[in-house]
Amino acid sequence: MSANLIIISTIFSIFIIVFIVLLLRKKRINIKYSLIWIILFTILLISILVPGFLSFTTSILGFKTSSNMVISIIIVVLIIISIALTVIVSSQDKKIRLLIQEVSMLKSKGDKKNE
Amino acid sequence: MKILLIVPSYNEEKNVLNNYNKILKYSKNCKYSVDAIIIDDGSIDETKSICIQNKIPHISLINNLGIGGAVQTGYKYAYENDYDIAIQFDGDGQHDVNYIEKIINPIIEKKCDMTIGSRFIDKNSSEFKSSFFRRIGINIISFFIKLKTGFKIYDTTSGFRAVNKEIIKEFALDYPSEYPEPISSVSIIKKHFKIMEIPVSMNERKTGTSSIKNWKKAYYMLNVILSIVFTKFGGKK
Repeated sequence: MSANLIIISTIFSIFIIVFIVLLLRKKRINIKYSLIWIILFTILLISILVPGFLSFTTSILGFKTSSNMVISIIIVVLIIISIALTVIVSSQDKKIRLLIQEVSMLKSKGDKKNE
Repeated sequence: MKILLIVPSYNEEKNVLNNYNKILKYSKNCKYSVDAIIIDDGSIDETKSICIQNKIPHISLINNLGIGGAVQTGYKYAYENDYDIAIQFDGDGQHDVNYIEKIINPIIEKKCDMTIGSRFIDKNSSEFKSSFFRRIGINIISFFIKLKTGFKIYDTTSGFRAVNKEIIKEFALDYPSEYPEPISSVSIIKKHFKIMEIPVSMNERKTGTSSIKNWKKAYYMLNVILSIVFTKFGGKK
């Protein structure tokens, strides 16, 4: 990877990590959901900054350029995270449904007593 | 014998009172005691206040859940209050109270666990005009149910159904939130309950709109098929 690219991706990774940590401090996201992002970008940061690491893995995995490899790996990880999020949304959907049903039934019981 | 009519209603301010009066009138002449509960699925019109004013038994969901969640609330109510038979009965005037006895009789006589009021099983008795595409859609769903269970259901999307006490419990605990009619039928067959289809005729929808909108129909089909084919329907009853 060219020197420019290394600088840009380093800045970007640090920016993302700081952003996630800020969100965490303001309690806008849960720790368990933030961890994956911090880990992902820390690994990215390390692999960019350790000299020789990227060119070594690129040649082993058979990519033509390091940037291709980085992009491919990021895409795969993002897909996995999206699927995990879909699973989380579905389970929350179920919980919300149960809540609405139970609260509504309790409420209608309460209304009946008040009549 | 305690019987409950579960009437899911979403924005049915024009129909709800009329519908309930019809049920009351029928209930007076019926040899069984038939109660009704309106499940107001978070309507944004006057459905709820009409229910309160006219003392119609109802549960108003605090938010819209869609047909599956609304109907399941009815089954939960039936389960809590120890009903022997629960009947799903649409709140939009499509279903005819006079068929209630016909669809609960096989359950009372213990011939089966669940009945489906079917528009297609006997072509002469039904004046329900469904569009060509709707019929094709229903036939395709029917084909996949047959494929999965080996059992033929003709009117897969009929919302006019009656179930016995055991299935009330099943549905109270687990009911599909989307595409509930075909999918719950499959799960019931897979659990070795017995289903019978009873010919009924249905009225054209008067007011209100179908829960399935036009542009969603193809998507609906695909979803139903995927759920039927891929869902793992658990074990024995």
